[in-house]
Amino acid sequence: MIGRYEIEIYNNKVHYQLTITRNITIIRGDSATGKSELIRLLTLYNSNPSSSGITLICDKKCIVLNDENWELFTGSYTDRIFFIDEGNEFLGKKEFADVIKSADNYFVIVSRESFPQLPYSVDEIYGLRESEDSGKYRQAKRFYNEMYKIYGKMPGIVNSPEIIITEDSNSGYEFFNAIFKDKCVSAGGKSNVKNLIVQHLDQQVLAIVDGAAFGSEMQKCMELSFGSREGVSIFAPESFEYLILKSGIIEVPKAVIDETWNYADSVRFFSWEEYYTYYLSDVTRNEISQYSKKKLNEYYKTKGNLERICEILPDDIIGDG
Amino acid sequence: MLSIYFGKYEGDNYINNPDLYFDNTYEDEWLNDPVSKEMVKDIDRSELVGPNLVVSPVLGSIPVTRLSGGVKTLIQVWHDQDHVYNATACGDNCAQWLLKAGEERDVLVRLGYIMHFTGEPFKIRIANTDEIVETQIDLAKKVILAGLLD
Repeated sequence: MIGRYEIEIYNNKVHYQLTITRNITIIRGDSATGKSELIRLLTLYNSNPSSSGITLICDKKCIVLNDENWELFTGSYTDRIFFIDEGNEFLGKKEFADVIKSADNYFVIVSRESFPQLPYSVDEIYGLRESEDSGKYRQAKRFYNEMYKIYGKMPGIVNSPEIIITEDSNSGYEFFNAIFKDKCVSAGGKSNVKNLIVQHLDQQVLAIVDGAAFGSEMQKCMELSFGSREGVSIFAPESFEYLILKSGIIEVPKAVIDETWNYADSVRFFSWEEYYTYYLSDVTRNEISQYSKKKLNEYYKTKGNLERICEILPDDIIGDG
Repeated sequence: MLSIYFGKYEGDNYINNPDLYFDNTYEDEWLNDPVSKEMVKDIDRSELVGPNLVVSPVLGSIPVTRLSGGVKTLIQVWHDQDHVYNATACGDNCAQWLLKAGEERDVLVRLGYIMHFTGEPFKIRIANTDEIVETQIDLAKKVILAGLLD
């Protein structure tokens, strides 16, 4: 399934608006923000659409999954947006992760569990916020932005990080190591980033992660950021390959970057990180710029190309190189 | 003291879905208790009139089964000592109430995320490792280094 979908559902008391752009969307946040009420409205609407008094506006069918129906519905339907409330036991099962991996559907999961088996994006973690005018209107707002600055008592701290932790161990690490020289360490994977942050909490830390699949780790890293005296910042672009594509080094149609939802088919790609890697490898095949995730082609380490990638990094990330 | 088990809890007395469990097992007397009324006022911003009525500023008059999952969990943790509840149904805005329950008596809950507790120093026992922490950063560090949520 591809595409970006606006969902609007309301009755005479509450009114929800959210936009879904990828296979996995997570809704979490404080208690009593209306998450379960959203699921309740959808359930009632589907039980009797014409007489429920509930209005649903969406280009795709929206269906609620539960412990009883999830296997039947995910095995039978395509091209739907499935909603799942917390408390369903199948959410933590490997079988469910396997279903999502190649599903021709999108999934909206209401839960605070981290789900390390699911590669969801930090950009697709939302909280429901009341409108300032009326408690009736609830909009899904992103929890995290691309750059997470925790200044605490030391403003400007990310301008001089003492250590840079990269999630990547290969090409991404090589690139940032060329930028930050001997300050870079690789975590060797997303699940180890938080452990390295803990080990370096007495230093100013910048962690660079692949945001497209880092959602399950984000809350833990943010708790470390909140409690750090020295300062921990997390930079979470979609992926290193996304940075290369966005930099303009390789000629790429603008829509591939700006409207990835129209290209990253959920049946083929578990996350946008996989899509960007596939796209960059494919578009540079047999070229001087041929990309490999395992080892960074020297083409990307030339002074000019390093500078072009650096130009799209946030101002706060200033390397020594 | 508040004890928290992080990750997968498998005791016979464990309630994974406190929202659903509450709807079918709550006792009327729980809902006449002033502490429950305070919880509902604080978390749901609603008035718990009694076992049969809640007045919400958004939804109007509703039954207690439409209280938030978070406040249902808090009410059960406060009144039912026979079960271990999945407090993942509670957001960060419920943290102070869990600490308060732990000040009243020994309470064990399960969490699938690192809840953000304020009001340091506090006393929380990490049930998996039997360690006691007094600050949020120590709680986060110990949960992470022990891999309790991996």
